[in-house]
Amino acid sequence: MTTTVSPARSRTGSKPAGSHLTGTGAMVRLALRRDRVKLTLWLVAITALVPRFYYAAVTAVVPTPEALAEASQMIRVSFMRVLGGPLFGDVTTRSYFLAAYWVEFLLAAAIMNIMLVTRHTRAEEQTGRAELVRAAVVGRHAQLTAALIAALIGNAALAVLTTAATISIGFPFGSALLFGASLAAVGLVFAGVAAVTAQVTEHPRGANGLAGIVLVTVWLLRGAGAMQGQEGGPLFWLSPIGWSQQTRVLAGERWWPLGLSALVAALLVAGAYSLVSRRDLGASLVAPRPGRASAPSWLRSPFTLALRLQQGAIAGWGAAFVAIGFILGAMTGGMEQTNLPIFAADADFGRAWLSLMVFTGSLYTGAFAVLSVIRLRAEEVRGRIAPVLAGPTGRPTWYWSSLLVTALAVVVLPVVYGAALGIGAAVSTGDLGLAGEVVRASLIRAPEVLVLLAVPAALLGLAPRAMNAAWAVLVYSGFIQILGPYMKLPDWLVNTSVLSHLPWHPMGAFAPVATVVLLAIAAVLTILGLYGLRRRDLASG
Amino acid sequence: MTSAIAVSGLVKAYGPVRALDGLDLTVDAGEVHGFLGPNGAGKSTTIRILLGLIRATSGSAGLLGGDPWADAVELHRRLAYVPGDVELWPNLTGGEAIDVLGRLRGGLNDKRRNELIERFELDPKKKARTYSKGNRQKVALVAALSADVELLILDEPTSGLDPLMEAVFQQVVAEAKAAGRTILLSSHILAQVETLADRITIIRDGKVVESGTLAQMRHLTRTTVVAETASTVTGLDQLPGIHDPKVAGGRVRFGVDAEHLGAAIRHLTTFGIDSLVSHPPTLEELMLRHYAHKEAA
Repeated sequence: MTTTVSPARSRTGSKPAGSHLTGTGAMVRLALRRDRVKLTLWLVAITALVPRFYYAAVTAVVPTPEALAEASQMIRVSFMRVLGGPLFGDVTTRSYFLAAYWVEFLLAAAIMNIMLVTRHTRAEEQTGRAELVRAAVVGRHAQLTAALIAALIGNAALAVLTTAATISIGFPFGSALLFGASLAAVGLVFAGVAAVTAQVTEHPRGANGLAGIVLVTVWLLRGAGAMQGQEGGPLFWLSPIGWSQQTRVLAGERWWPLGLSALVAALLVAGAYSLVSRRDLGASLVAPRPGRASAPSWLRSPFTLALRLQQGAIAGWGAAFVAIGFILGAMTGGMEQTNLPIFAADADFGRAWLSLMVFTGSLYTGAFAVLSVIRLRAEEVRGRIAPVLAGPTGRPTWYWSSLLVTALAVVVLPVVYGAALGIGAAVSTGDLGLAGEVVRASLIRAPEVLVLLAVPAALLGLAPRAMNAAWAVLVYSGFIQILGPYMKLPDWLVNTSVLSHLPWHPMGAFAPVATVVLLAIAAVLTILGLYGLRRRDLASG
Repeated sequence: MTSAIAVSGLVKAYGPVRALDGLDLTVDAGEVHGFLGPNGAGKSTTIRILLGLIRATSGSAGLLGGDPWADAVELHRRLAYVPGDVELWPNLTGGEAIDVLGRLRGGLNDKRRNELIERFELDPKKKARTYSKGNRQKVALVAALSADVELLILDEPTSGLDPLMEAVFQQVVAEAKAAGRTILLSSHILAQVETLADRITIIRDGKVVESGTLAQMRHLTRTTVVAETASTVTGLDQLPGIHDPKVAGGRVRFGVDAEHLGAAIRHLTTFGIDSLVSHPPTLEELMLRHYAHKEAA
C-alpha cells in the first residue's frame, strides 16, 4: 500500500497536470444527463417560488398599504429578523417580498448545490460506480471537476431564471440580476462546502449531513447577526447567506459582497482538490467505527427491527424539533406586541402565533411520516425485506410493525416539539402555563398527521410506484390550509385538505367529530394498504 | 420418498413476457438439488414464487407439503433462504443482521452461529454498509445455515466468495445434507454443483431442458475418445453413433453416443491401441450445449 500516501503528487512531476482532468467533458455530460429531471425540477421549483411568494406578499399578507406598514414593522422587530429581513430602504411590496422570503431562496439554492455535488462525488464512490468510471480513461480529478462544473451550470441557470422571474414581478433589470447572482453565489459556496464534506465521510448521507450542519451554522450566524442591528451586525458578515443579502437589492445596491462568496467558494474548492489528491478512491478522512458483534437482546421482532432501523431518523427529527420549537416559542413574547391581519381571528396574539406554529409542527411531522413510510418501499425495492419475509414473518406483521413505529413517532414528535415550543414561549412571556397548553394543542393535531401517514401506506399496497404522490397530498393540504383563507377559496375546496379539519382557534380547541373522522380515514387507508400489499407481487431486489 | 418441492406447469407472465413457461421441478426430501440455467432463465423467479414473494400466474407449486403463497409464514419456519444479491440494512453490523434474521425465524443456534462466523472468517462488528458483496453473502449464509430448518433455498449463494470460502461453503452444505436437510442450490459454479448435487435441473427460457442425476445426463450424451493406435484407423464413419471423427496418422479423436461406446472401442482394438483416453462430458460441456442452443434458435 505504498502508493496510497500521495499518488497524485508523485506523478504530477512526470505527467502534465491536465491528465488528471481527462474525461471531464464526458463526465459533465453524464452528470447533466443523469440530473436532467432532478436539476430541472429544482430550478423550476425555486424560480416558481418568486412569483408565488410575491403573490402571497402582495395579495395575502399585506393587501393594503396599512397592512404593509404593519408587516414591515413586525419584520423590523429584532427577534423576527432571525427568520426574515433585514428590510433595507423604503417599504414597498417588493422590498417586503425580499425581506420576508430572500433567506428561503438562499437556503434552497444552498441545498440544491449540496445535494448535487454529493450526488456526483461521494455517492458515486460509495456505490462503486466511481470505480467503474475511474478504471476507464478518466483522470483522478475528473469526477470532482465535473460535479463542480455541473454545479456551476446549475447556478448559472438558477441566476438567469430567477433574474427573469424577478423582472416579471417588476424589478429593474440590474436589481433582478443582482438577486439572481446572490442566489448563485450562495449556491457556489455550498457546492464548495459539499465538495469538501464529500471527502470527509464515507457515505453520501454523512457528507450531506455535514454540509447541512455548515448550512445551519451559517444560517444561525446570519440570524444572530440580524439581532445585532437593523441592517445586520458583525456576525451577519460571517455568513455567506449574509453576504448575499448585503448586496442590498433595491436599496443602495452593491456587487462586492458577492466577491467574498466567490473567494470562499474558490478556497473550499482548492481544499477539496487537495484532499481528493491525498486519499484513495472510496476512502474517507473519518474512518467508520466498529459496531456490535451481536444484536442487543431486545432486537428480536419485526417491531423492534423497525424501531432499530428508524431510531436514527426519529432522534434526528426530535433534535431538530427541540431546536426549532424553542426558537419559535421564544418569539412569542415579542409577538404579543404586534398586530397582524393573519391573526385577526384571535385577540391573543401570543397564543395565535403559537397556534400557527403548532400547525407548522403538524406539517413537519407530516413530512416525517411520509418519508418514514416511503422508506418501506425502498426496503422492498432494495431487496431488504425478502430475507425477513422469507422467514416466518408475514406481510401483515411486517406492515403493522413498521407503521406502528411511524405512528408512535408521529405522536411522540409533536409532544417533543410542543414541549420545546411551549417552554420557549413560557420563558419569553413568563406565563409558565403556556408550556402544558402548547403540548396539548400539539398532541390534539396528531390525527391529521396519522392521515398523512396512512396515505403513503395505502399507496404502498395499492400503487407502490406512485408512492411519491403522498408528497403531493402533504404539499397540497398545507398549501390550501395556509393560503386558502387569503385566496377566498370555496369551503368545499378547503375541505379537501387533510389539514383543514382541526380548528386553530382558540389554541387547543378539541373537535371530537373531526378527530374521530380523521382517525377512521387513517384506519381505512392503512387497511386498504394492507389489502393491496397482501395481494401484489413484491418488487425484486 | 416425499417431495420437499413439487412444482408443475408453473407460469409467471409479466404482460406478454413469460418469465416461467410451464416449469416442472421436483426436489426430494434429503437431496441436494442443483438448479441451473443461464441468466434470465427463470431461476430466481421460481425461487421467489416458492418463497411466496410473488404469485404464479398459473400452474401449481408445493413447498414442504403446503402452498407457498397461502401458508407462507408457517412454511418459512421450516426453511432458510440465501439470496444471490444480499442487501443488508446499512446501519446494522453484520452480527446484528445475523441475529435479527435468526431471531425473526424464532431463534438460531448460537454455538453454530459463532462457529460459522469463524469458519467463514467474517468480521461481525462491521457495519453492513462497509461489507463487500462476498461479506454480505457470508452474513446471509451464516444466518441461514445456523438455523435448524428442513429446507435451505440457496440462490447463487457463493457468487462473491473466494475459492477458500467456496471450499468452506461446500463442507458446510455437505454437513447440512448429512444432517438430513434438503437443499435447493441455484448456481453458476458448475464444479460446486457437480460435487454437491444429487440431482440437477437445467432450465432455459422458463422451461426445463433437462433433469436427472449427472450420471443420467451423461448417459444421454456423447463421450469423447482420444486414442493412439499402431496402424491408422479406418472405417469409423461406417459405425453407428460416431461423431466428428478426426484421424491423423496414428492418432484418432471422435465423439460417440453412450450406447455405442463398446462397439467403437472394439473397433479400435483391431488397430492395436497404444493409449486410450475417454472421458464423459463434464457438466460444463452439458451446460454449454444447452446454453448454446439459444444462439442457434
